[in-house]
Parts: sequence; C-alpha cells; structure tokens
Amino acid sequence: MNKSLIQLTSLINWKRKLFLILLIGSLAVLGIGIACLNFGTVSINPKDIITLLINGSQDKTKSLIIWQLRAPRIVLGILTGAALSTVGGAFQGILRNPLADPYILGVSAGAALGACTGIAFQYMTGYLLSSYLPLFAFIGAMLSLYLVYKSSKISYSANSTGLLLSGVAINFLFSALITVLLALSRRELHSMVFWLMGDLSSANWKKISIITLPVIIGSLILFFSSLDLNALSLGEEEALHLGINTSKLRIRIFVIGSIIIATVVSFTGLIGFVGLIIPHIARLLVGPDHRIMLPVAAFLGGAFLILCDVLARTLMSPTEIPIGAITAIIGAPLFIYLLRRKN
Amino acid sequence: MNIFKKSNLIFISIFIILSLFLLKNIYEKKESMLQIQKQVDKHQVGTSNTTEYPLTVIDETGTAVTVSKEPQRLISTAPSNTEILFALGLGEKVVGITNYCNFPEESKNIEKIGEISPLNYEKIISLNPDLVLAYGGFQLKDIPRLRELGITAIVLEPLNLKDTFKSIKMIATACGIPDKGSLLVNNLTKKVDKIKSKVSSIPISSHPKIFIGGTSETIYTPGAGTLFNELISMAGGQNIAAGLSFWKKINPEFVAKAEPDIIIVPIGVMNQEEESKIKEIISKRAGWSNIPAIKNQKIFIVDEDLFYRAVPRLVEGLELLFKIFHE
Repeated sequence: MNKSLIQLTSLINWKRKLFLILLIGSLAVLGIGIACLNFGTVSINPKDIITLLINGSQDKTKSLIIWQLRAPRIVLGILTGAALSTVGGAFQGILRNPLADPYILGVSAGAALGACTGIAFQYMTGYLLSSYLPLFAFIGAMLSLYLVYKSSKISYSANSTGLLLSGVAINFLFSALITVLLALSRRELHSMVFWLMGDLSSANWKKISIITLPVIIGSLILFFSSLDLNALSLGEEEALHLGINTSKLRIRIFVIGSIIIATVVSFTGLIGFVGLIIPHIARLLVGPDHRIMLPVAAFLGGAFLILCDVLARTLMSPTEIPIGAITAIIGAPLFIYLLRRKN
Repeated sequence: MNIFKKSNLIFISIFIILSLFLLKNIYEKKESMLQIQKQVDKHQVGTSNTTEYPLTVIDETGTAVTVSKEPQRLISTAPSNTEILFALGLGEKVVGITNYCNFPEESKNIEKIGEISPLNYEKIISLNPDLVLAYGGFQLKDIPRLRELGITAIVLEPLNLKDTFKSIKMIATACGIPDKGSLLVNNLTKKVDKIKSKVSSIPISSHPKIFIGGTSETIYTPGAGTLFNELISMAGGQNIAAGLSFWKKINPEFVAKAEPDIIIVPIGVMNQEEESKIKEIISKRAGWSNIPAIKNQKIFIVDEDLFYRAVPRLVEGLELLFKIFHE
C-alpha cells in the first residue's frame, strides 16, 4: 500500500512539474523573444517597439524591420532551437550514445547535399532555382532518411549500433559527395559554404507557417514516446523485458525526428551544436526523465538559439557572424561549467 | 529488396510528389518570365535619351525589374557596382556600400551595409533605398528575400568585358541617365579598340607567355573564363593557364614547364608584401631558376583591383598589361 502511494505521489509530482515547466518555459521564451526584438543593426527605441506591438505602425520602415525581419527571425530561431534540442535528446535516448545529435543519422547531410545540388544547378537553369532551395534540401533529406532506414533494416536492426552505423555511413557518403560538389564549384562555392554554416537571416512568415506544424506534431509524438525512451535508457534488455519493441521504437523515433529536422534545416541550413549540448544541459538541470527533459530541452534550445542569434547580428554589426560559430563559442564553456558544478 | 513493400512505396511516392511539385513550379516561373520578356522586348526603349518612369529592365537573373521613379537613394552591394556608380557620376546618390568597397576615395565616407553575403536586410531597409544594385553569385540566395521586403533590386553579374559594358549601360538606364552610360561605354570601347588594333599588328609568335601568381605556397592562377585571362589575350599575351578554367590551384612544376616570359603579381587585399620581397620570394622558388621571366627579372607587380573587378578601370588594366607586354 505504501508503494502505490509513492507511485501516486510521483505521478502527481510529475504532472505538476510538467505543468510548471510548460508555464514557466513558455513565459520565459516569450519574454526573451520580445526582449530580443530590441536588438539589431538598427537601433529602435524600446518604447517605439512597444507602441508598435500594441497599436500598429506609424513608421513604415520601423514596422517592416520589426514585423518582417526581426519577429520572423526570432520565431524561426525558437522553432529551430526547440526542434534541434528535442530531436537531439530523443536521438541520444534511442542510440544510447551521449555524442548523438540530430545530424548524426544522416538527414542533415542529405539536406546539405540537396541544397548544394540546387545551388550548383542554379546557374545552369538560369537562376530559377534560388527560391526553391528548401525543396531541394528536403528532397535530399528524404533520400538520406530512406537510405539510412533501408540499410539499418538490412543490417542488424535489433540494436542501436546498426542504426547509428548506417547513419554515420550515409553521413560520410553524402559529405564526400558534397566535398566533390564544393571542389567542382566555382561561383557557387560561397553560397554552398554559407548554407552549410546555417543562417536564420532569411526567415519569413511563410517559412514559419510551413515548418510550425511538422515541428509541433513531431515533437508531441516524441514527447509521448518519453516513457519508452525512459525504459530504453535502463538498457536494451530491460526495455525488452518491460514489453517494449525496441527496434520499432528506434525506427519510429528516427523517422519522426528526421522529418522534423529535415523540415527545419531545409530552411535554416545546418546550425550546429544546439542539438548536441542543449539536451545534456537539460539533463543536468532536471534529470534524465524524458517526460520532463524533452520539454525543458525544447524551451532551453529555443531561448539559447535566439540569444545566440542576437549576438550573431549585433556583435560586429552590420556584419553578421555565422550563428553556428556563436552557438559553439557560447555553448561549450557554458556546458563545461555546468558539468563541473554538477560534480 | 521488394519495391512494392509499404515503406518503399511511401518513400518513392514522397519523392515523386516533391519532384513533380518542383518541376511544375520551375516550369510555371519560366513561362511567366518568357511572357514578361516578350512584353519588355516590345516596349524596350534603351537607346532613347529621355527616360520615362516607371521603366522595366531585365536584369542578369532574367527578372523583369520595374523602377517606379528616378532613384534618388542607391545602395550598392558589391565593390564593382560602387565603382560603376561613381564612374557614372551617381556617387552623390549612393547611400550604402559594402565593407569591401574601397574605390574611389570619395566612397569611403558612405555608410557601410556590412558583408557582401549574407546581406544585412535590416541595414538595407533602414537606409530606405529606391534601388539596390546587387551582385549575382554570392547574393543569388539573398535576392528573393530582398525583393519580398519590397525593395527594388537589380542583379548584375558581369564576367567579361562585354558584360561589364552591358552592366554599365543597365545601371545608367535604370538611374535615368542612359546617354551618360552610352558615352562612358563608347569612350571605354575606343580605348579598347586602340589596344586591339595595336595588338593585331604584332605577330602571334612575339606574344609573350604570361604567368599570373602570388607569393603564397599554394599557387592560384586565373584560367579561361576569368577577366584576367581575357585582358591578357586582348593585350597580346599568352596566359600559360589559358587551358584551365577559372581560378585553379596549380603545381609549381606547371609553371617551370611552361617557361613564362613575364610574371605578373597582383597585390591588394590578399597580398600586401613589399615589392622587393615579392620579387625575391618568386625568384627563389625551387625549380624556377630556368624560367625566362626570372632570368631576365621580368616580374611586374600590379594592383589586383584593375583586373579582378568588372568595372571601367579594367580598361586601365588592359592598357597597363599592353605596356608591360610590348613596350
């Protein structure tokens, strides 16, 4: 009787905890997002921004800058950071590997190859393609998803090594093809390199409307797999004993996670480091329970990425620093600091 | 592997749908562009001296760009465009240039918009431009966004002398001074023709072999398709790398075997050493002692901007090369 009481309280605690996290997290991200509206190349008085947000615009340039440039960029940053961190956390769970990140299973390389192919062809087709790059990237990502899925099925799908190695192999293959494209390209080189570094500056509302749904639905599916992920974290056999079909779980998380990542990176390019480090930070802060850890990672990831983006666009203004560099420069020391404190 | 398994079918159909969607969009866009082109061809003025706004130009990306009134606030997103604007006497209307625009001197005080790519949209919008003169290549991916934000942008991408003249005319037309553009191009063409006629009287056998290179360990040299290569052959020289395409990394042996008569070292942003030092480094490269250019100390140091940028100053570069080769 005592035992079931503990179970009951832990259940209540878990729900209460999650509720608190959702409340605090969304308020914090909203607050940080609004605060980030203040920063940019052009300095705009915070008072003006508040009146602009409430009453609409009086100054056309300012409202264009806030509504068409900064706001979509921040929203895209939140979505991207959240998606990368959630998927990173879930992938670390299914692969039982702390070095896993959303890019380790090959989707990113596929997207990159697709985008670079699109860029390489944009001259041949008379400049028609530049606005369809995301579609190219997405097709590439789906191709790699398919190949990894197939090769992991053919190889030993019963354990996480098979999936991991298939992903790594496809990653290498596609990266090699990208290198060939880079070596062959001339005028396109610069565009390709920039795509590979990731960039939020092209954010607009249309892109956001396309990626929001896949990110939210996908993340919810990942979230509802939390208990299975928890069981898997005890060990492969333990999970099997608990009645979980681990290879099916792995494939499900892999496919859903990859689709989320494919939609996001098709628009932003490869923003590195967030998906690797944020889940670890979330784990350090709230423990390994995926039900709590995944939402925390999503909020942390979103907030972290928009803060990094603010630095990227203001530090050397009007020059923009690639955001992937900022995430690593800020994230790595922060992570080491948290690790040390935990010990 | 059975193609008709469920997973295979799902993936294959996703591919087909996405690819068809892409093809359909590209086809529609191409169709609409062809129609616009036809309309513009009908109404194209170009040569007339008075410019009526709104006017439509087809830029290098094949996009029909409509300029609604005579632009008073111009932004250039490439050093070449900045130079052309100043050469046309439009310098006073330029309100924004990139970090790399270093010519002419008067442009130094104009507000900077940042890097060439990715473009800083916020900075560009805040300067409230009537017309942005962009560059293809790096900026192709940034252009759609720029236009989405309601900015009129003309994309130029001159890769040879002829295109450079075309760009000059296009900029002049869009800015309401087509006659000034034609005048500038005519003057430049006259200078080019003068060099051409001089070169035509020189037998090909006495065209010197030219090597373009710097002092760094890895040697990059301009091959066919580069402005530099075009100017060398126009000025009556034979580029030893003419058989290669675009900028290529080459082996020092390649140069030793080609035995160039003249070595030209472009200096600028990438290479800022002293002249004597440059000559020394090049002369002492292993295996190069037999090269005629080194034996006769025919090493010339030139300003790279005269040869890399598609601007009116190319003609100065051409004249300089002719002087080096034949005088």
